[in-house]
Amino acid sequence: MSHLVLTGLAKRYGRSVAVDGLDLSLAKGESVALLGPSGCGKTTTLRMVAGLIAPDAGSVSVGGADLTQAPAHKRDMGYVFQSYALFPHLDVAANVAFGLDERGVARSEKAARVREALSLVRLEGLEARRPRELSGGQQQRVALARALILRPQVLLLDESLSNLDARLRESMRHEIRDIQRRLDITTLFVTHDQTEALTMCDRIAVMNCGRIEQIGTAREIYDSPATRFVAGFVGRSNELALSRDSGGRPVLDGAPLRLARDPGGAIDLHIRPQHLRLGPAGAPASDAFNRLAGKVAHSVFVGDRSEVLIDTKAGRIVAELPPGDTAPPDGADIVLSWTPDAGHVFVRESV
Amino acid sequence: MKSGTRLVLLTVPGVILLAAIYVWPMYGLGRMSFNETGPTGAMIPALSSKTWRELFADPFIFELTWNSIQLSVVSSTAALIFAYPLALFLFRTQSRWRGVIAALAIAPMLVNGVVRIFGWLAILGDRGLVNAALQGIGLTSQPVRLVYNWTGVTIGLTESLMPYMILALVAGFGRLDRSLEEAAASLGAPPWRRFLRVTLPLSLPAVALGWLLCFVLAMSAYITPKLLGGGRVFVLATEIYELSITSVNWPLASALALYTLVLLLLFLAAYSAMSRRQA
Repeated sequence: MSHLVLTGLAKRYGRSVAVDGLDLSLAKGESVALLGPSGCGKTTTLRMVAGLIAPDAGSVSVGGADLTQAPAHKRDMGYVFQSYALFPHLDVAANVAFGLDERGVARSEKAARVREALSLVRLEGLEARRPRELSGGQQQRVALARALILRPQVLLLDESLSNLDARLRESMRHEIRDIQRRLDITTLFVTHDQTEALTMCDRIAVMNCGRIEQIGTAREIYDSPATRFVAGFVGRSNELALSRDSGGRPVLDGAPLRLARDPGGAIDLHIRPQHLRLGPAGAPASDAFNRLAGKVAHSVFVGDRSEVLIDTKAGRIVAELPPGDTAPPDGADIVLSWTPDAGHVFVRESV
Repeated sequence: MKSGTRLVLLTVPGVILLAAIYVWPMYGLGRMSFNETGPTGAMIPALSSKTWRELFADPFIFELTWNSIQLSVVSSTAALIFAYPLALFLFRTQSRWRGVIAALAIAPMLVNGVVRIFGWLAILGDRGLVNAALQGIGLTSQPVRLVYNWTGVTIGLTESLMPYMILALVAGFGRLDRSLEEAAASLGAPPWRRFLRVTLPLSLPAVALGWLLCFVLAMSAYITPKLLGGGRVFVLATEIYELSITSVNWPLASALALYTLVLLLLFLAAYSAMSRRQA
C-alpha cells in the first residue's frame, strides 16, 4: 500500500526544467533515496514534497490525502536540512521542543518527549547547550530529534550527512537507518553519494535532468542498470564503443563479440571493473569469453585488492583484481576477458 | 618589532586625528564651562562652578531633557517600525530591482537637510498636499496643524532617520538564514509564528543597534526641530545653539553641550551592558 505518492511533479525556473514530471511512490515505512548529481532536481523534488516550494504541476499525497495545496506547516513532515538549520538563539531542549510548542503540548508531556527524543539520538545531558557549542555530528542529531519528536508521517532528509567527516558519516548512516526502521517512518532521502544511498535505503531512485532514470533496490540498480547514465553513475564501469562487421555482428578491435543481448544499431558495452579477468598474452583462447588485448599502464593497491589500468585499442580500461591476486608488472602485455553476460549494452545516443 | 607593537601602530592615524578634532576641542569645551558670565553678559575667565550651578538651578533643563528624549524615542521607534519591513524585504529579495530599491531607500541621505525640510513644509503646511487632501475629501474644514509643532518635527525626524535605520538593519540581518524559517515551517509554525519565534528574536541585535544609532542622531538633530518646529519646539540641541549664537553665553552653552554628551554616554553604556548580557 503506497503511503507517500508523488504524481507528475514538475518545476521549472525560467527556461530551465528542474523537475520534469516525476512519479514516485513509497510504501509505509519504506526508505527511498533520490540519488543523482548536483543539479538533477533531487533537492527541488524534496522541497516540493515538504511544501517549501510550489510545484508547477503534479501532486503530493500522503496516506491518500492530497497535500499539494497544503502549506509546509500543515504537512506533518519532518525535514532535516543540509545545514541542519538549528535555531541559534535557542538551546538544544528548546530546539527539539519547537514543534511541540506549536502544537500546544502540555509542559509535563513536553519534558518527557524531549527526553525521549534526545535519548533516541543519544544526546542526553546536552539539553542546555546552544547549537554553536555542539559538534557537527551532535548538531545533526539535534536536527533529527527535532524532526522526529513530532512523530511525522514522512521524514525528509536533504543531503543530511554531507557536512560530516567520513568516519562520522559512516556511523550516522547506520544510526539513522536504525532509527528509521525502528520508528517505521516513511523516508525520502536526497543524496549525491551512492554509498549513502546503497546503505540507507530500501530502494534507490536514480535521477538525472529532472527525471527518474531507474528505480529499484541497490542490487537491481547495480547489477542491471536500465540506462547508460545509471551504469556510469552508480558504481564504476568501462565504456567500450562497438562497431559492426560486414555481417552486422558486433565487433571490438576487429574481433567478434558475444553479447547477452543485441538491440541492433550503434551500441556501447559497459563493463564493471570487477567483471574483467586478466590473463597473460598468448593464453589459450576460449569461446566462452570475449577478449581484448592490452598493455598494463600501471596498477594501484587500494587496501584489500589491486586496480589495474590497461591501455587497449578501445581506450584506457580499469580492471579490479580479486582480493589476494597480485597485479601484473607495468608494461606487461595482457589479455582481458569477460563472459558475455558480464556487460550491459546500451544503444549509442545520437549527438 | 613585536606583532603587538605593530598592531598598535594601526591606531596611530586615527588617534592623531581624534586628538586634533575631538579631544582638544572637548577639553576647550570643558574648560569653557568653568568660566563665568558677568552681569553684562561678558565672559569672565575663571575656574568656578557657577555656570554649572546655574544650569541645574533652572528647571527648564529638565523640560529640555524630557523633550529631547521623548522626541528621540518616538521618532527612532517610528523609524524602526517603518524601516523594519522594508529592510527585511531588501535583505530577502532576489529581484533585479533590489539595487534600485536600496538606492531609493537611502536616497534621502543625499538630499540636503534644509531642502528636505522645505519639502516637508510644502507637504504638511496649512496649504500643503496633506491638508488639501483632507479638506478635499471633507474630513476637516479647517487646516490641521502639521508643521511648526511637535507633530511636524516628529514626522520630519522620523523620515530623516529611516535611511540610517534601513542600513543598520540590513547590515545586522546577517544571522537571518532562510532555512531557519523553513525549518520552523516544517515543524508546524504558521508564518506569523515563524516571525515571532525565529525572525524577530534573531534580528533583535540589529534592531537594538539601529535604534541606538537613530536615537543618538535624533538627540543631536538641530535643523529639523529648528525649522519644522518654527520656534515652538525646544530641545537640547536648539537650546545649545540659542545660547552660543543668539545669547552668546558660551560657558552655559558649553555646560549644556557636555551635559547632553554625558546623557548620550549613559544610553550607550546601557546598550553595551544589555548586549553583553545577551551574548
